[in-house]
Amino acid sequence: MASVALSEAEKVYIMHGVQEDLRVDGRGCEDYRCVEVETDVVSNTSGSARVKLGHTDILVGVKAEMGTPKLEKPNEGYLEFFVDCSANATPDFEGRGGDDLGTEIANTLYRIFSNKSSVDLKTLCISPREHCWVLYVDVLLLECDGNLFDAISIAVKAALFNTRIPRVRVLEDEEGSKDIELSDDPYDCIRLSVENVPCIVTLCKIGYRHVVDATLQEEACSLASLLVSVTSKGAVTCLRKVGKGSLDPESIFEMMETSKRVGKVLHASLQNILHKEESLGPKRQKVGFLG
Amino acid sequence: MLKSKTFLKKTRAGGVMKIVREHYLRDDIGCGAAGCTACGGAHEGPALEPQPQDPASSLCPQPHYLLPDTNVLLHQIDVLEDPAIRNVIVLQTVLQEVRNRSAPVYKRIRDVTNNQEKHFYTFTNEHHRETYVEQEQGENANDRNDRAIRVAAKWYNEHLKKMSADNQLQVIFITNDRKNKEKAVEEGIPAFTCEEYVKSLTANPELIDRLACLSEEGNEIESGKIIFSEHLPLSKLQQGIKSGTYLQGTFRASRENYLEATVWIHGDNEENKEIILQGLKHLNRAVHEDIVAVELLPKSQWVAPSSVVLHDEGQNEDDVEKEEEREQMLKTAVSEKMLKPTGRVVGIIKRNWRPYCGMLSKSDIKESRRHLFTPADKRIPRIRIETRQASTLEGRRIIVAIDGWPRNSRYPNGHFVKNLGDVGEKETETEVLLLEHDVPHQPFSQAVLSFLPKMPWSITEKDMKNREDLRHLCICSVDPPGCTDIDDALHCRELENGNLEVGVHIADVSHFIRPGNALDQESARRGTTVYLCEKRIDMVPELLSSNLCSLKCDVDRLAFSCIWEMNHSAEILKTKFTKSVINSKASLTYAEAQLRIDSANMRDDITTSLRGLNKLAKILKKKRIEKGALTLSSPEVRFHMDSETHDPIDLQTKELRETNSMVEEFMLLANISVAKKIHEEFSEHALLRKHPAPPPSNYEILVKAAKSRNLEIKTDTAKSLAESLDRAESPTFPYLNTLLRILATRCMMQAVYFCSGMDNDFHHYGLASPIYTHFTSPIRRYADVIVHRLLAVAIGADCTYPELTDKHKLADICKNLNYRHKMAQYAQRASVAFHTQLFFKSKGIVSEEAYILFVRKNAIVVLIPKYGLEGTVFFEEKDKPNPRLIYDDEIPSLKIEDTVFHVFDKVKVKIMLDSSNLQHQKIRMSLVEPQIPGISIPPDNISNMNLNGPEKKKMKFEK
Repeated sequence: MASVALSEAEKVYIMHGVQEDLRVDGRGCEDYRCVEVETDVVSNTSGSARVKLGHTDILVGVKAEMGTPKLEKPNEGYLEFFVDCSANATPDFEGRGGDDLGTEIANTLYRIFSNKSSVDLKTLCISPREHCWVLYVDVLLLECDGNLFDAISIAVKAALFNTRIPRVRVLEDEEGSKDIELSDDPYDCIRLSVENVPCIVTLCKIGYRHVVDATLQEEACSLASLLVSVTSKGAVTCLRKVGKGSLDPESIFEMMETSKRVGKVLHASLQNILHKEESLGPKRQKVGFLG
Repeated sequence: MLKSKTFLKKTRAGGVMKIVREHYLRDDIGCGAAGCTACGGAHEGPALEPQPQDPASSLCPQPHYLLPDTNVLLHQIDVLEDPAIRNVIVLQTVLQEVRNRSAPVYKRIRDVTNNQEKHFYTFTNEHHRETYVEQEQGENANDRNDRAIRVAAKWYNEHLKKMSADNQLQVIFITNDRKNKEKAVEEGIPAFTCEEYVKSLTANPELIDRLACLSEEGNEIESGKIIFSEHLPLSKLQQGIKSGTYLQGTFRASRENYLEATVWIHGDNEENKEIILQGLKHLNRAVHEDIVAVELLPKSQWVAPSSVVLHDEGQNEDDVEKEEEREQMLKTAVSEKMLKPTGRVVGIIKRNWRPYCGMLSKSDIKESRRHLFTPADKRIPRIRIETRQASTLEGRRIIVAIDGWPRNSRYPNGHFVKNLGDVGEKETETEVLLLEHDVPHQPFSQAVLSFLPKMPWSITEKDMKNREDLRHLCICSVDPPGCTDIDDALHCRELENGNLEVGVHIADVSHFIRPGNALDQESARRGTTVYLCEKRIDMVPELLSSNLCSLKCDVDRLAFSCIWEMNHSAEILKTKFTKSVINSKASLTYAEAQLRIDSANMRDDITTSLRGLNKLAKILKKKRIEKGALTLSSPEVRFHMDSETHDPIDLQTKELRETNSMVEEFMLLANISVAKKIHEEFSEHALLRKHPAPPPSNYEILVKAAKSRNLEIKTDTAKSLAESLDRAESPTFPYLNTLLRILATRCMMQAVYFCSGMDNDFHHYGLASPIYTHFTSPIRRYADVIVHRLLAVAIGADCTYPELTDKHKLADICKNLNYRHKMAQYAQRASVAFHTQLFFKSKGIVSEEAYILFVRKNAIVVLIPKYGLEGTVFFEEKDKPNPRLIYDDEIPSLKIEDTVFHVFDKVKVKIMLDSSNLQHQKIRMSLVEPQIPGISIPPDNISNMNLNGPEKKKMKFEK
């Protein structure tokens, strides 16, 4: 993981600030940095989003491809996650340096989506046991400035919101051989419901308190943090502790409460901004990577 | 400005791919109107006239441009091609759609656009900033294109208004789609249907006939009775073909029976390669050459190909009951093994309609505007057209295009395209047969002519590079009289070591036709020179064919020489190929050459050379026949023309002299030598010619026919066939041998060109040569030009080019050449047939001896040796009681009343030109001897004529 070297004095300064609910950049403990979201940034994907959280910069592309359903779930499609840690983000990622982190993030994503409510996988089924849509969710880390998990989960949600899957029809002839027919109207497509797609809220334990959306410097001061994936309704779908320090049960409970509270607000504002963006229609001036 | 276009595509593997293309919009695309200041010089080339004067339309009297939509362009191209229609804006959207939907129409519209006088302008609206539209939600691709067209029409109208205040120029949107028209009118665009517009052109009433009748309302008038079952949609057909329920193939109508057709199934499936379709309903509106989907019928409904000859002659349109009666006639009891897979057409995959030549059969009802059109090609059904000029078109050859074939109509609907001229006129008929056989016969374009060498032409230093000077040799050419395109010359001389040097010199056409230029492309397209009875359609412009490439005597000419050193028993010791310069010492005719060889007192160089050649040729021929080469026979008629009227006065069969075979022998030798050389050098991309051995079943008819005469024909190898043909002599019937050879010719396969890398069977069956190509007639065959190029590269005399060593390109060339050669042959036959008609027209009725070639169920096919004329004698006539006919397929024989006819029986027939039916002037034959009461006609006293005259055209070694 990307990290910065901090002197003892700097750490103490940060910790004391957190204690007083005043962080180095002026935020309170439960405040997020400014989040920038833009969807439909990569035209040859089925859906894409770019999220900037402070200097953390994430690009997510979703590509829908046809595949066969998994044996145990014959009438569902599925999602595949892949996280690419670009060496642009930090020189540590060069070569195979980012692989461990990438796998870790991908595994976390698999876990938060491995429940029935997150995404309705049944809509991805084309014909049971034979054809389904497989959504390849590719995450690209462009820059790291702390709180990767939250930024990635926001970007994934935005990208899934943006995803348009072409509508196909299965034609069956008398012999039972099936053929797939594609609609010739590019606007004729399936949208996914992202209502229940969770976002991760990472809480960093700094001193006796915890903060959300820690910067790289703050992460350096924290020994343990808790990843909580929360849905827009405040339901926790997954919990994971990272870091070498330990957390006492009482603070875990406290942190979960915080995450629910923060998560609801986060979902609401994300949903709001996504709808706003969509209402601009195809005439919207895209910012992309030049903005 | 940059836009991106996104669309989805299904991949072959079954996946779905999203494709994103960049699309650039410009603001410097001109509107095409000459003198438009707003877009100034942004456009060039053919442009619209600033003040279009014509055509005068009563609907829109002010000057206007036309802007047709895709369907108008696709279906009404015949109208648009008319010189009266000018100043048309063709949108890029429209052009692209046309291109996707019909390649021939696309080509035609391109040709029209290139014609400066038509003032057609292609507007690239898809790249124009103001006329580009994006597909909107809920809009399919067609709707989007329609909207794009309307946007462009609107833009044009606004743009033209800007040009000047008092300008009344308008753009009129032509569409046949009612909804689209309504929308356009709503948006303020003047719009008309094609029919409305054309009808308003008061000055050009003849255009109305050319309108394709597509209006659905029109069909309701017809009898509501549905004759045909519905065609299945393409998607269903494709599924069916995939799963094997249906078979895809090319529909081939029968020439002899309009109720029967065969479908050649595509693919490698060995069984069920050919499927028979019988009866109107099973043919289900398929037209010759269409790609169709057929369903096999259960075995219990299988039929055998009938041997009945049936022509569609009913004048009454929808007389379906009668049809059924006729269909019943086809289904006679036949043995089990004769049954062939039978099917019915369930849908059409691709129509291959083209404009058809033919004649109008005027409707019996006066003032009727609907008439039936009878195409010249018997495989094409009759077409119903609507015209007001029936009386002027009667007796003319016209061109008609098919528009559609509704389910309740016995005949397809079509429209009139062009009037070719009076029937029976030589020019008209020649034009018809050239069109019908797809022979490109337009004069050479300026672009093609620009690649000809400048006159006066002489051989330069540069030409002499890589070339041997053979001007000192005593070379001469031997050809038919009147031949102007001499492409071969010969020489023979004794060497100091006692051996003979023999040279074959072929015109160096590839020196003048350089690869890839317009001249080359045009000759490649034409493929061959077509010889008609009184006309020659050249493959290369006349300057080359009759002058610079023709190896005339006493002038220096460039040649490609093949020189052998032989011993006196005609064994080749050395072979050399070289480009050369020759100076022919004499251009002889076959007769002149023969005379020189035969007259003992002539001892000049040319004569000794000819004698040497003749001696070697005889040895070569003997060797060839020993190896199993076939000597076949086909009756060919030569006309002796009147020099002024060009009417045929007389005809004769070809006379063969020793010198014919002498030239032929050396040409064969040269072709074989060259074939070996180019195959050695280019094992993958040599252009060769093969003649496959026919399947044994082809010979059945020959063996059966010979058996009926107690003769045995062995067909296991070419050699045994040749030998058994030689042995098959009958002392009482000398002509029998020729007849057998004619039948044997009919059993043969077509010889074809092919690329050596695409095939592994090179054998030439007829010539009994393991390898063969065409090298000796580059002036009249394009294959030879390619072979010349290959050989030139092989000997290092010329440089190569990429296409030459691309075997797929070469295979494409071969495909075209094979097609053109086949068509040229058909055109030649058709020309002979027409001239035969002219001949018998002037001659009146004659009675001649004839031999039966084939026996059919209700007719016999006879050959009249005297005229080399083949014809059918029918035994069933419309207004007469049918005689008792018993047909035996095994022998084969036909018993009429009490007389039995076998193959090769001698009969006497009366020949006359049947012009009672102007639709199809034909030679009618009827039986004179043996006499059968009620069938044959009493012999007339007709004197036979004396036939003689020189042969006219050059035609040789089309082996």
